[in-house]
Amino acid sequence: MRRRTATTIATLSVAALLAGCGSSTPAASNKDPNKPLEVWTRSTEATAKVYEKIFKSFTEKTGVQVDYKPIFNDFDKQVQQRAASKDLPDVVVTDTGSLGNFVKQGWTTEVKREDVAGGADVVDRAWNNGKGADGKFYAIPFSTQAMVTLIRKDWREKLGKPIPTTWEELDDLAKAFTRNDPDGNGQNDTYGMLVPGTTDRGYLAWWASSYIWQGGGDILEDEGDGKFAVGIDSPESTKAVERLRKLFCEDKVMQPGSLTLGTNDAHPLFESGKSGIYLTGPYMIGRFDKSVGKDKYEVVASPRGPAGATVLGEGENIYQMAGSAKTADQRKLAEYLITAEAQQAGMKGDPQPVVRLPVNKNVDVNATYDDPRWATVAGVYSSEARPFPSVPNFAPFRQKTSETLNSIFAKCPADSSAELKTLAEALKKELDNQKASQ
Amino acid sequence: MRRRRRRRLTGATSKGPAWVPWLFLLPAALIFLVFKFIPMAEGIRLSLFEVRPFLGDIYVGFENYATILQDEKFLTASWHTIVLAGGQTIGAMVIGFLLALLLEGHTKSLWFVRSAVFLPVVAATAVIGEIWRLFFYPAPEGFLNELISWVGLGPWEYIHDTDTSLVSVMFVGIWKHAPYDMVLILAGLAGIDRQQYEAAAIDGASTWQRIRSVTLPALRPVITILLTLAAIRGLRVFTEVYVLTGGGPAGSTDVWMTRVYTTAFEQSEAGLASAGSVLLFLVTLVLTVSVQWYRRRREAR
Repeated sequence: MRRRTATTIATLSVAALLAGCGSSTPAASNKDPNKPLEVWTRSTEATAKVYEKIFKSFTEKTGVQVDYKPIFNDFDKQVQQRAASKDLPDVVVTDTGSLGNFVKQGWTTEVKREDVAGGADVVDRAWNNGKGADGKFYAIPFSTQAMVTLIRKDWREKLGKPIPTTWEELDDLAKAFTRNDPDGNGQNDTYGMLVPGTTDRGYLAWWASSYIWQGGGDILEDEGDGKFAVGIDSPESTKAVERLRKLFCEDKVMQPGSLTLGTNDAHPLFESGKSGIYLTGPYMIGRFDKSVGKDKYEVVASPRGPAGATVLGEGENIYQMAGSAKTADQRKLAEYLITAEAQQAGMKGDPQPVVRLPVNKNVDVNATYDDPRWATVAGVYSSEARPFPSVPNFAPFRQKTSETLNSIFAKCPADSSAELKTLAEALKKELDNQKASQ
Repeated sequence: MRRRRRRRLTGATSKGPAWVPWLFLLPAALIFLVFKFIPMAEGIRLSLFEVRPFLGDIYVGFENYATILQDEKFLTASWHTIVLAGGQTIGAMVIGFLLALLLEGHTKSLWFVRSAVFLPVVAATAVIGEIWRLFFYPAPEGFLNELISWVGLGPWEYIHDTDTSLVSVMFVGIWKHAPYDMVLILAGLAGIDRQQYEAAAIDGASTWQRIRSVTLPALRPVITILLTLAAIRGLRVFTEVYVLTGGGPAGSTDVWMTRVYTTAFEQSEAGLASAGSVLLFLVTLVLTVSVQWYRRRREAR
């Protein structure tokens, strides 16, 4: 009797397990047209609330249900994991920097610009964010931005320094912030510049590119016709990197620990009054108004280097992902997101906007924000901003550049030109790989 | 006599069909198959391909392995891994042994102290990493720097300087793993016959002589197990490095697993990453088997 019970239990549990295995066919969600549209955005908790509102009004207008998932940490890695199981979300809103990789892997689908309803309202510069190396479009722009310099105004005024307009003034201010006790607590515990300098996702290259361009240098030089040349070892680039090396190694005005900091870990150091100068996107303005205080910091255009005040200007795109059974709904959502209404809703997010600068030319930045700091950002975007070049996949270039810069700033060689030469060779090889060299 | 008793303990009898025990094993075997063996086989398969899920994989044979074995970054990373694994293993064992000697006994208060000391093992590695990141804050106002300033040292940059970063990561590893080693060594110590100590004491042996001639030889089996476990753990080290430094600065703490991770998720080279994982698996396998083989041979002698 007892033996029979045992046998029955064993048989049943095996049967249950087998049944369980049978019922779960993976990768079903995207093939089923009745499921809601799965949408991912690269968002913190705060910005996710703004997206929720936008998606809600989208559903009210079109009747298309949205299954929304905000993800902040390791966004690209999670997309990758879903790609590995051939089950991507339907729509993804994330950095323009992901475009090359998405296209190379076949994760995003081509967009015919003229077929997008309302596409004509989107400014040309923004459209370029969605352009692949082959000249075709693979994403629809959603938001754009330019890097600006955030400075602790109260510190600067206490030390009696002007708003920096040149590299010399900026470096001088950074030194003063480090050495002259700008917060007046009697301790030598403040630093000049905050740098998200980790090599994770190539952050450091993101930060340094603006300064390299301002020095007249370049990581890759566009030669036209989809061909590029390596510019990171040019005399101008070397000089620009030398200046940064000096700030790290000799003047020591950078926030300690910068070289392992991601942006997530970096923001709090500005908020807690450790560092006083921060070259970053405008997306933190709302949060810093609350944590630092609106009157305590200022938003200025980047001070000029020898070759100008160029900064990195990128943004976020709407990617219609591959393998979706709901292409019509994907398109509907993208078309809604670029309407003036959705763009304005995105800008009005509290505390942080999800649309920084609108891609729709019918939206007035000044009227919507009513904030001179955002007018500064818009001004910088229209006159000084440029994106990373549209090589087939910029990610490996960004990664390698950030690794070399990280090494130069950490090991402080007497002269950085040798390391930049080695980097240039590696970048040249990568260009050959991607068939984008001359 | 001994054999019959063991049989009664497990309750097995010669009655009943032979497949019943297999039936009981089947659920576990199936779960292992689905969640362990199939993914492992898939990993080995992918290591021979350039992986592109939406465009179709391309067969490249052993090219991925060749790429990795020639990749300077992987070679540096494997050197870091060996240094880190070695340092952490030895460090944790020495500290664990000292802790075990200090905390051996049956007193109630000792039980409490031992639990407190054991805490780092239970805490999540990611949390430990974040906390130590704070401790290691490289400016004079950082926690550790404030401590060492009392004795006139510092400020040091710990994980933020390429010269000290690997040692600092190693230190955190030792801090986390030493209590684990301590517990196993304590169990080993409890198995030593007290009379041996007493006999040694009567013969006039000093404390050091007693440790060397009585304690250490008696702990040999425990030490072998600890060495094996620690070596495997050391080779696969990932979380603490990833959270503390992400492999930086300047790649000075990059280990094999962070390299594999970067390759897979930053560079989207799943095939290369699979090859890296398979290589790590092979090294671990060879290492474990040779330690076992060495131990068997010694025991047989």
